[in-house]
Amino acid sequence: MKDEIAWVTQAQQGNDEAFTHLVEEYQTHVYNLCYRMLGEPEAAEDAAQETFLRAYQNLHRYDQGRSFATWLLSIGAHYCIDRLRRRKLSMFSIDEENDDGTTFEIADASSPDPEAESVKREDRDRLHILLKGLDETDRAAIIMRYWYDYSEIEIAESLQLTVSAVKSRLHRARRALAGMWQEEKPLTRTERRVYESPAF
Amino acid sequence: MNHQPFEDWLLDDKPIEPKQKLALDAHLRICNYCSALAETGRALQSVKKVSPSAGFAARFQTRLAMQRVAERRRRLWGAVLFTFGGLVMLMWMAAPYLVSFFDSPATRITSLVGWGVFLVTTLRAMIQAGSVMLDVIPGFLPPFAWMVLVSAFAGISLLWSISIWRFVRFPRGV
Repeated sequence: MKDEIAWVTQAQQGNDEAFTHLVEEYQTHVYNLCYRMLGEPEAAEDAAQETFLRAYQNLHRYDQGRSFATWLLSIGAHYCIDRLRRRKLSMFSIDEENDDGTTFEIADASSPDPEAESVKREDRDRLHILLKGLDETDRAAIIMRYWYDYSEIEIAESLQLTVSAVKSRLHRARRALAGMWQEEKPLTRTERRVYESPAF
Repeated sequence: MNHQPFEDWLLDDKPIEPKQKLALDAHLRICNYCSALAETGRALQSVKKVSPSAGFAARFQTRLAMQRVAERRRRLWGAVLFTFGGLVMLMWMAAPYLVSFFDSPATRITSLVGWGVFLVTTLRAMIQAGSVMLDVIPGFLPPFAWMVLVSAFAGISLLWSISIWRFVRFPRGV
């Protein structure tokens, strides 16, 4: 934390090396948000680079009373939201674009229960695909809530929304995800769900 | 089917009492929607972050350097265009004076007087037109309508100024 403040201060004074430290520190943070928002690695790489570029150009506006990570994610989320809206405007289909480009996680061979891990991975992959069906701002709220453990207040601050709007967006997004999850239930899965009776 | 209070429990992501857990389990066995809500909730709780490919910071530095070159080039072209445009404008504005430099003193005085007369008559015409308008227009609208119009105009101007100020001061997300 101390290092981070020092790097930010030095970067604000024009030290590029300090900013590079910040890029190295937060690259996964920003890239993951962009990847979950845009759905494909190439677009995520470009968006993450653009996020850092915008942060670099606006470093003088950064208020050190705020968390640097939240500030970065706020820039990234807004950039991705704008990009998704432009895609919509240009009638570009996100599904057509992404079906081939999506990367999925590789199974963790060291896991004590590879089958359960495989099911979890399958669910995460499905979730990643279903995220694309959400409204851009709802998607950003869900990603911040579950991938970054952000509180509703932090999400509201990042997305420039009210706390009650965040709450209702999160609920709406969860309902929409559940609806899509039901519709796209994989037929190949034979294992019993946690909440299901063995009779089913 | 009534999904309450199970839907709220699932959406809130908060721990529930053992009694509530039993009721929830029973509901999930018969409700596909809540079951899907529970499954998505579990999937969301187990999400993982993905990292960029190696060399991200180095690629960023390259992009930053390219951006700086592009910015410098843009500034240079801007300065060249501004200077060139300024020179053309200056030449265009100065052309009549440069031409009149070669005229006789009598022609110069005549054109100067002509300009003066033109300015004075134009100003007088505008003042007259303005006073006629001020006499005629208020009669068309009652004072109350004028108040509403002026207030609306002031309000819109204020809103516009605040919007521009906010956009300049706080760009989205920064």
